[in-house]
Amino acid sequence: MSEHTSPDDRLNELTAALSSEIAPPSDLWPAIRGELAPRTRRTIHWDTRWRLAAAALLVAASSSILTMFAMRAREHAPATVAVTPRDTAPVTQRLPAHLAVAERGYERSVDALWRTLDERRDSLAPSTVATVERSLRIADSAIAEARSALEQDPSNRVLAELFVSNYERKIDLLRRATELAPRT
Amino acid sequence: MARVLSLVQHRVSIESPRVARRDDALVDRARRGDVDAFELLYRQHAGRVYALCLRLAADPVVARELVQDTFVKAWDALPRFRADASLTTWLHRIAVNALLERRRGEKRRAARVSLAGDEDEDEDERDIAGVVIGPDVATAIDLERAIGALPPGVRRAFVLHDVEGYTHEEIATMTGLAAGTLRAQLHRARQLLKRALSL
Repeated sequence: MSEHTSPDDRLNELTAALSSEIAPPSDLWPAIRGELAPRTRRTIHWDTRWRLAAAALLVAASSSILTMFAMRAREHAPATVAVTPRDTAPVTQRLPAHLAVAERGYERSVDALWRTLDERRDSLAPSTVATVERSLRIADSAIAEARSALEQDPSNRVLAELFVSNYERKIDLLRRATELAPRT
Repeated sequence: MARVLSLVQHRVSIESPRVARRDDALVDRARRGDVDAFELLYRQHAGRVYALCLRLAADPVVARELVQDTFVKAWDALPRFRADASLTTWLHRIAVNALLERRRGEKRRAARVSLAGDEDEDEDERDIAGVVIGPDVATAIDLERAIGALPPGVRRAFVLHDVEGYTHEEIATMTGLAAGTLRAQLHRARQLLKRALSL
């Protein structure tokens, strides 16, 4: 270092002399290799999964509009009716009429999408199927919770909104999963 | 002096056309699922990514995890990598994002209190005081130690700008830091390093 080198210059010299490469641990590659998902045309990348999640959030947000319509409809039809029992829904559950109607529509969509997804399931990567199934379980659980709460408090608009948005999310997840699976 | 600055500021862009062409070919193969090609890309770039992660994290264990995250994410995202971009820069961005995600997670969990003051200027004095300064401190090893002792936010700014040579705009894109914040952090980093190295 020259006598006249300023502290800033000296720091710059030292910084420039730093090694641009440092050898990583030798066992790092095998660890990375073990985490690489097989690359096929069916492979879903993380960004796609994030898009699924983001879409679910968007759908949840947009469902508030649907809920608003649903709640307006409710003002004209306040009676409650028994919901058509499904294999996953207890017979005793009762919902406000407009939500019961909405639910039947949602369930028809869900059934149709499930059939499509089942047909194409083999063309999806197992990790994708697992991700979709996990997301659907969360959606189902959220629907059941909202439904149960609505039984106790059928006039609660927030709960109705949650109920609708959770169904919307489930349908959107299923729809996107079927779009990801190539037609066989 | 100008030569030194030039070296620092252009470290990132030192990638010969031959290396870039070889990367392109390997990227193409890796995109199609060729893990052997991806391993070659790893062998070629891991040293620089690890150096960056080690300096950003100042912790070999965390650095290792960051490199692992970086290459796993790179594998997933490779089909969307644009051939006109530098693979090194792209990998560095993934690494910086991985670090930022990690920091956000740590802050959310509040499990590591020592990191909570990432952007807190008051932390600077305390952290830098931990650097042991000897009579022969003006060496690269001491500089590495001093960099490692910088507060995380300040360290990130210094490593990306002064060590890796990214521009302010590139760092803003990577980290979301405002220009003024970055300038302040760089100034702070240099002050702390000069003091730590007795320059």
